[in-house]
Amino acid sequence: MQDYIVEIEHLNKSFPGVKALDDVSFNLKPGEVMALLGENGAGKSTLVKILSGVYTKDSGNIKIFGQRVDDLNPKKAQEMGVAIIHQELNLCPHLSVAENIFLGREITHSRILSDKEMNKEAKSILDRLNIDIPPETIVGDLAVSKRQMVEIAKALSINAKILIMDEPTSALTSKEINELFKIIRKLKEEGCGIIYISHRLEELQYIADRVTIMRDGKYITSMNFSDTNMKEIITYMVGREIKEKFPRINVKRGKKILQVNNLNAGRLVRNINFELYEGEIVGVAGLMGAGRTETMRAIFGIDRKDSGEIILDGKPLNINRPQDAIKAGIVLVPEDRKRDGLCTKLSVHDNIALPNLDILCDSAGVVDKRKERTMVEKAVEELMIKLPNYDVNADSLSGGNQQKLIVSKWLARNSRVVLFDEPTRGIDVAAKVEIYNIMNDLKKRGIGVLFVSSEMQEIVGISDRILVMCDGRITGELDYKDASQSLILEYATKFDTKIDDVAIA
Amino acid sequence: MKKRENQNFLKRIMAIRGMGQVVTVAFGLIVLCIVFGILNPTFFSSRNVGNLLRQIAPILLIGIGQSYVLITGNIDLSIGSVVGMSCMISATMMTKGANPWVAVIITYICCIVVGALNGQLVAACKLPPFIATLGTMTIARGIAQIVNNNYNTDSIGSAAEGFKDFFYYGKTLGIYNTIWITIVMWLIFNFILSKTRSGRYVYALGSNIEASRLSGVNIISTTTKAYVVSSICACTVGLVICATSGMGTMDAGNGYEMYAVAASVIGGVSTLGGQGILLGTVIGASIWGVLQNGLQFAGAPVAIRNIVIGIIVVISVLLDVVVRSGKPRRKRIKSEVAQDNEIKA
Repeated sequence: MQDYIVEIEHLNKSFPGVKALDDVSFNLKPGEVMALLGENGAGKSTLVKILSGVYTKDSGNIKIFGQRVDDLNPKKAQEMGVAIIHQELNLCPHLSVAENIFLGREITHSRILSDKEMNKEAKSILDRLNIDIPPETIVGDLAVSKRQMVEIAKALSINAKILIMDEPTSALTSKEINELFKIIRKLKEEGCGIIYISHRLEELQYIADRVTIMRDGKYITSMNFSDTNMKEIITYMVGREIKEKFPRINVKRGKKILQVNNLNAGRLVRNINFELYEGEIVGVAGLMGAGRTETMRAIFGIDRKDSGEIILDGKPLNINRPQDAIKAGIVLVPEDRKRDGLCTKLSVHDNIALPNLDILCDSAGVVDKRKERTMVEKAVEELMIKLPNYDVNADSLSGGNQQKLIVSKWLARNSRVVLFDEPTRGIDVAAKVEIYNIMNDLKKRGIGVLFVSSEMQEIVGISDRILVMCDGRITGELDYKDASQSLILEYATKFDTKIDDVAIA
Repeated sequence: MKKRENQNFLKRIMAIRGMGQVVTVAFGLIVLCIVFGILNPTFFSSRNVGNLLRQIAPILLIGIGQSYVLITGNIDLSIGSVVGMSCMISATMMTKGANPWVAVIITYICCIVVGALNGQLVAACKLPPFIATLGTMTIARGIAQIVNNNYNTDSIGSAAEGFKDFFYYGKTLGIYNTIWITIVMWLIFNFILSKTRSGRYVYALGSNIEASRLSGVNIISTTTKAYVVSSICACTVGLVICATSGMGTMDAGNGYEMYAVAASVIGGVSTLGGQGILLGTVIGASIWGVLQNGLQFAGAPVAIRNIVIGIIVVISVLLDVVVRSGKPRRKRIKSEVAQDNEIKA
């Protein structure tokens, strides 16, 4: 029986308001690649952060190389041989490759740095992994893929035997992925255990030995990769009943409100085409990094467009800044409501008035206080925002009420299309229903509703039509009647196949 | 054969990180000297050169200190006030009859305390460096004023002749002591910065503080060391000023922090942190000194001098920020993913 190098049992971790890990088990053998799979919020990130000492567990057993560890911190984890390579790389761009590899553990002779020796050592580590980068290269001059390799080399220079890789291929071309997989295979030969987190399910067949699936903070199952198939994996990742009720209403579809043609804005918004009609809610599904938020931002005018047409009620719009979108009637309820949606230190009253001052002021720029008051009262009443008075600070409201506040300020100016980005994130179940009701209300009034969400249940539960995005493109369009969570996930993982089978020897 | 050797030598020099900008500004310096020399040939007289070097010395010293702090990604606005504080503390002690060398030691201790305080405020208390050092700047200036009851001091007297000679008037081997002091301090601090672990961490901190933290670099210790270097340099300049004028002036060092920033930035030290070498600060301080001296010689009124110098400061910092913020050497790489990624192999 091969000894496990990582054994985790009954692991629990809670954050305020959410149970991130619920009685989770996990193990890793030496010389294997274990794919760790699950939707956003499944608990993968929390699990590996506990293993690498960044978070502390609430309870549970963790054994590394057969030794039980209870008080792990980043330094201790490193000493025990655990290294994590984050999606956001942690290198000093002004320093060279060798200097980064040895950062914190420089080789010195009588207090003087021996750069020659460190360069030599770095070179031998890089050679061991067949990475062709001169150790004197400044990291800032390297492409992202090469920087990732430097991080791997750094992890190995501290003799990591347990390597955690978080979305390692998202930034790589197919050639670079081949190089990376060669390195991973070499590490396997040397007895390293690799935990491989990725949403790119298609690539797993080339590199994963076993797979562990998590869902909603729980451990679901694990098996040999060769004993399963993609369909089964997806079913395990997604399969849950819809517990919450979604207040679906039926409204007859009206005329076309919005037409987006060939929208391009960087790598995450590529050739986006879609239409939005009166009387429907269109949900935009996809995984993190699919480009949904970026698409909303491009339409709203926050990010620059490379190309594309936005046509509202038959008229083409010229949107270069959010002001243009707002004036035309397209508004955004952003993902990070505290940072981008509200001025938290201003009152409810001021927040509602803020984007509407052009309506409330006379030609001299003086605010008509009475008009303002009427607008605020109407807005609060319409959406039933619960507050003691209009002068409380926006940040004193609950999440759900904050969200309503953001919507209300846009409604006050008769907007035509409301874009929602993750509208129910961090909001309790009851408040979520109120938000759905608001969206239904807009739908009834003939205002266009486009909403981005990572919660597949709510997408399927409340949308009339569903657009699925993957890696910057729209990979699927479904009517809600034909939609299922596994179908959506299938579209959401339809990355451009980067690996050609011929190259993988 | 000789040509080949020269080419290799040149290549090795240019390969040193940060040399690019240093060489560029060195050319600028040469051009400046030639221009001023043409305008007034006595510019090159040995007397003027000696004076010029003595004028450059204090700017270089505070430049070294500010460069250390800038490379860590912070700033030290208290330098000027520490100069004044140093001048006043040493002068006051000497006028009250203290042994000049005891006064020197006590002065250094006081200034080091200010430096340590800066380090703690910025790294341990996480105050923005601008605010923290603005505060200590005011406190230090206040101390400079209070030390002698809000008066400039009397002459430090004949007992301090040795002190005055050491720091300003004396020559050793035909070169003014001030210049020797500056050279020695530059050698020491340059060595620390380029050849020791502490120096490496100074760059790492300015380059990516999170990566440094995760690699086990002591952030508080490194930040404090940089600020202490800065105050040691400022203290030395204060002593030089005290020796020069033979008394303590409460206004000493006023505005020096910005001259120090200018000297550093012209020489290639970035206000964004993580890059620059002290050789550049030498050139930056020299350009500064030559400008001051040359404009004075050319008969330009003080106001014009100030405006010219001010414009150069603004332009050099502007170029620094504009050119460097656009460069790919960012800590965030998200947008780089968009640039680097090819969709098809």
